[in-house]
Amino acid sequence: MNVEISDVTRRFGRTQAVAGVTLQTGRGVFGLLGPNGAGKTTLLRMMATVIPPGSGRVRLLGRDPGEYGPRREIRRRLGYLPQNLGYYPGFTVAEFVEYFALLKEMPPGRVPQAVATAIERVDLGGRARAKLRTLSGGMLRRAGIAQAIVNEPELLLLDEPTAGLDPEQRVAFRTLLRDLGERATVIVSTHLVEDVGAACSELALMDAGKIVFQGTPDELTARGEGTGAAGDAPLERGYSAVLAAARSATAAA
Amino acid sequence: MTAAPTAQVRRRAPRATSTVPRNAVRLLRVELRRNAMPWILPLIAALFWFDSYRPSTGAAPLYGLRTFWNMGQGHTIIDFGPFVAAVAAWMGSRDGRRGLADLVTATARPRWAAQLATWAATAIWAVAAYLVFVGVMFAMYAHQNVGGAPPWWWVAVGSCAVIAFSAAGFAVGAYWPSRFAAPVTAFGAFLAMALSSQEGFRSASGWALILPTNSNGGFDGNAQTDGGIFYPWVPDLPIARIMFLAGIAIVAVSLTGLPARAGGQRLRRAAAVLTLAGLASAGTGIWLASTARLSARGGMVIPALHDAANDAPIAYTPVCGHAAGIPVCLNPAYGRWLPDVTAALAPVLAEVAGLPGAPVRATQVAAAYPSGTGGPPQAVTLGGHPPVLRLSLGLLNMPGPCGFCDGPVATSQFAGQIRLLFASAFAGVGDGLGSPVQQAVQAALLQGAGIPFAAQPKLIAIVKPGPDAGPSAQPGPATGPVYAAARRFATLPAAARHAWLAAHLAALRAGQLTLKELP
Repeated sequence: MNVEISDVTRRFGRTQAVAGVTLQTGRGVFGLLGPNGAGKTTLLRMMATVIPPGSGRVRLLGRDPGEYGPRREIRRRLGYLPQNLGYYPGFTVAEFVEYFALLKEMPPGRVPQAVATAIERVDLGGRARAKLRTLSGGMLRRAGIAQAIVNEPELLLLDEPTAGLDPEQRVAFRTLLRDLGERATVIVSTHLVEDVGAACSELALMDAGKIVFQGTPDELTARGEGTGAAGDAPLERGYSAVLAAARSATAAA
Repeated sequence: MTAAPTAQVRRRAPRATSTVPRNAVRLLRVELRRNAMPWILPLIAALFWFDSYRPSTGAAPLYGLRTFWNMGQGHTIIDFGPFVAAVAAWMGSRDGRRGLADLVTATARPRWAAQLATWAATAIWAVAAYLVFVGVMFAMYAHQNVGGAPPWWWVAVGSCAVIAFSAAGFAVGAYWPSRFAAPVTAFGAFLAMALSSQEGFRSASGWALILPTNSNGGFDGNAQTDGGIFYPWVPDLPIARIMFLAGIAIVAVSLTGLPARAGGQRLRRAAAVLTLAGLASAGTGIWLASTARLSARGGMVIPALHDAANDAPIAYTPVCGHAAGIPVCLNPAYGRWLPDVTAALAPVLAEVAGLPGAPVRATQVAAAYPSGTGGPPQAVTLGGHPPVLRLSLGLLNMPGPCGFCDGPVATSQFAGQIRLLFASAFAGVGDGLGSPVQQAVQAALLQGAGIPFAAQPKLIAIVKPGPDAGPSAQPGPATGPVYAAARRFATLPAAARHAWLAAHLAALRAGQLTLKELP
């Protein structure tokens, strides 16, 4: 298992962002679904070793991120795309990706080829020398994805990766995700259930800091059948049904 | 987006530790390429030109005077410091401002190491620009044939000050990642420089000598014009200041390595040790500066740092001319003024030519500086067997531009000054105004050298102001018993004057004569 999380919590002041999450996953594309404020981003930040958990146990790539040495090893094998991607406006796309390749301590000899490959994979080859300030929102998102995958990560964490991408790019991105998932653990946090349905082999649905469902997209779809839950697609109906059931259970408790 | 890259990247092999420095170099290269410092350099260049270079060209063409303003009073640092600190704060706050803190934190390289690369690029740009600007300024000085040696130690102090400003600004930005960090830092740096300058003007000793804008001792007005001419620039105070500024830089940079997010425990421990080392270095610098004292030959000496090799005079081949048949030799740094000096001396030397106490040659010597006792230094002295006229031109304002005078020094003004000082030395007047008979002989010699009696009181008031002479002190008229005796003596035939002087010179210089004994 590349990701082993058990009973993890995290609080920000009075807000319980993550309330006892247990999750295990290996290679493949894993979707993290949930409404706004469900705790997806906080869980992803903990997996990205940006913040430590308040309690519980996290093991990533067979290592304990609580210790400095193992944490560095994890980070060398990690790709991360935050929800709100910042950027250095004066950097070119190639420099931005190279910068993060170097911060990930890739062997210097491999960096130029890896940068070129990553930029090609997100279809920004023609804009490699363009300054980031000249790019559209979708292109910036792709530059962000390029920096995340430049080191061929074993664990790739993507927070809302398709936000700002046009439909054609989203389709291409899903293909890329499936490809990456063959060799690594890819965790995608998203609102867009169609992304999950198309690319993920397994998913978890979070609400109020907890995982209220974990299974395959088909299993989630099955949960929505015959419930009359809202949604235009079967997966959306499953999503709505699970959320409604979880909330009513919480209200009853 | 392509699902399968044409050239599949192989699984990465375990990282070799030797890749770390190469990786850091590449990182530094990216940071250098995209640093904000070059954007501010045109502004600094303009400021440097108008504030550091142009005012200095009003001073006499000697390094000691030309650099008094821009190096001694630290204007090159004032021009750079606030801007460098502001840009460094901008760069230090970059990740926070741009919302990249999470992304940078999630990488293997410790956050502090990444920050160090950003700071290093900022500091390299700033120091390189400082050295280039100062280098261009010195090249222009060299083109203008400025005499003496450049004060390289003070350039090193300026470079360290620039580094310290960049480090302090970067630390502010790293701890306060706001768009306001840069302007607030610039204002703070400017305020620090202003306060430092004020303290520098006030304090000629003690801890305040550590301030890079304090010119006292290192560049002490006209008393330091011989720095780099007869003796090397004394590096003692610059070394103390470098220790102080380097200490500040180390403390500031190390502070950014203390927070938990900066890196591992070992790295943070190293940052803590460096912080303490920086504090120790800065504190030692302050202590050393407080022990500095002005040496007799000029320049601040710190006993704990002083190297006797720096007291050895600089070898040089003098440039020589003749005045009234007497050889006059100057340091080559003063070569441009040789015609002025010989022209000024010729009439007074002609007045005393052939007398037993008259000088057989004139030579420039390093100025001797007051060390608290013994009265003001003598710019022109006469002594030895055979008598030699020693000229400490470093104590005088030479003809031409004079940055710290009311205006340029006229050749006639300089000539009058030299002639008066020579006549004083010849009559044995010494520090003060001399005895009445010495004053009378001095006046007669000056009259013979072309300075009329009526002009002499004003000249004396300028060259030898009394202890209570203020800016409003008015010289009196050339009347009274002294000038009466002088007029009487001056009207004697030259042969009679010479004969009397030959017979009475020793008694005159010893102050044993009275006015009545003057023929």
